[in-house]
Amino acid sequence: MSSPVIQTSHLDFSFNSSGKTLDNVNLHVPQGSIYGFLGPNGAGKTTTLRLLLGLLRIQKGGIEVFGKNFLQQRISILKRIGSLIEQPSLYGHLTAKENLEIYRLIYSCNKERISEVLHIVGLENTGTKKAKQFSLGMKQRLSIAIALLNEPELLVLDEPTNGLDPNGIIETRELIKKLNKEHNTTILVSSHILNEVERMATHVGIIHKGKMLFQGTLNELQQMKSGKAALEIETSDNIKSIQLLHQKFDAQQENGKIILPFRDKQQSAVVNKLLVENGIDVYTLYPQHNDLEQLFVDITSSN
Amino acid sequence: MSFVTSIRAESIKVKRSSAFWLSLLGAAFIPFIFLLMYFFKPGVFVPNLGNDPWRSHILHGWQALSIFLLPMFVILTCSLITQIEFKNNTWKQVYSSPQTLGHVFFSKLFVIHCMILFCFLLFNIFLIGSGILANLLNRKYTFFSSPVDWEMLLRTNFKSYISVLGISGIQYWLSLRFKNFIASIGIGLALLITALILMNWEHIYKVPHAFPLLTFDAVFKKRHRLLENHEWNSIAYFIAFTVLAFFDTKYRKERG
Repeated sequence: MSSPVIQTSHLDFSFNSSGKTLDNVNLHVPQGSIYGFLGPNGAGKTTTLRLLLGLLRIQKGGIEVFGKNFLQQRISILKRIGSLIEQPSLYGHLTAKENLEIYRLIYSCNKERISEVLHIVGLENTGTKKAKQFSLGMKQRLSIAIALLNEPELLVLDEPTNGLDPNGIIETRELIKKLNKEHNTTILVSSHILNEVERMATHVGIIHKGKMLFQGTLNELQQMKSGKAALEIETSDNIKSIQLLHQKFDAQQENGKIILPFRDKQQSAVVNKLLVENGIDVYTLYPQHNDLEQLFVDITSSN
Repeated sequence: MSFVTSIRAESIKVKRSSAFWLSLLGAAFIPFIFLLMYFFKPGVFVPNLGNDPWRSHILHGWQALSIFLLPMFVILTCSLITQIEFKNNTWKQVYSSPQTLGHVFFSKLFVIHCMILFCFLLFNIFLIGSGILANLLNRKYTFFSSPVDWEMLLRTNFKSYISVLGISGIQYWLSLRFKNFIASIGIGLALLITALILMNWEHIYKVPHAFPLLTFDAVFKKRHRLLENHEWNSIAYFIAFTVLAFFDTKYRKERG
């Protein structure tokens, strides 16, 4: 798990002179991992992935994939990668099989591989239907099929669940996990949804405004999050509540709500019982929703 | 991976594409119009075609083609073939596949020239076919009793192909440069109209979009040089713009 499949060093990139899109990005994707590359839209995720695939010219810094310098061994590296960048890349006037045939030739795969990948993504029965007539979900699955053609050791997926319905999202997630488990494929998957990354990733990198804010295992991220979590309470008498809670917790009033550091579920029960027994009505009581936005605030403040 | 594989992959993309249909329809258009004219106006065309109907038929066909349709066909084909990637958002998949830039660039150029040659081949077949069909429909025509001047036909094809090389180099570069096909087609059309306006200019042999018509003129006037000056220029333009387009693509900051 330790040796990196992707290692970038001090990667900088700017589209124009007005500012850096990427600023000193040191990505470290361990072998056999599902690396969730997390960040809001415009954070630099796609730019990083495009640099990794040679779609953008490296301006500063270096990229090593499979331990080789990307610029020097581009072709031999790309032979071992499957990718899906942004929206599906398909020839609308061709069928699913014809789309796959183009890349089967390029990757020099067996003819049987086309049926295999169509089976993996569940598109065996599209027959003579043209790709432009496919639903977005089908297009996305066919794009994944193309990415899987060469049995890649590394799969680079840029927001693969974008625009998919809940069922499609679950299927894609399960497919990613399956590929990782059964074929030991290293998967670099970008997303702007924290929850989604948490459900499948083993490792996480968080990028914001072109800078890496966090990089580590999912456990490390969750530990950091729990240290930052807070319990939010609304009551009929906040002043009296704070006086009561101060005996056991570090409670403070913020915007008409009481905030105190969240430890576990039992703590919520203790707090609720204490307030109710003292004649205070509790309207709401919940751990603060730990979304990506909150996570950024937490990480930025801790930095 | 070999260059041949890249060409095979490229040729799948042309299947059922607009570029394919353009070749077919572009090649059939003039012979079809001629057939209609021969069928409905035998009183005019039987005497007009005279004793050597094939020569007159073939020369008129190539004249109609060379003035506008042939350069326009090359302009459209270059744009349509590259638009397959732009329209489908597939450049990124092409450039992140294990192919050298040279293979990607030249296989597409190769396919463009295959489409041009395919159109030439179809045009000849349709042109001769329209003569035969006209004679079948109206026995007064003398196509059956006259020989086809194959040598002239081959020479016209060869020289016309050389004459469009320059346009193809320029248009391929423009088509790769601009994502919006209106830009490459618009510039091509403007250059073609300019060339037609400048036809009597003493330096017209340096204006690439005029070359097909200049070639027709040379064939018509029975000049027998292997290549005219403007045809040499066409080859030079082709090489210069192909090299320019290749390096322009190679050193572009962003691909796909």
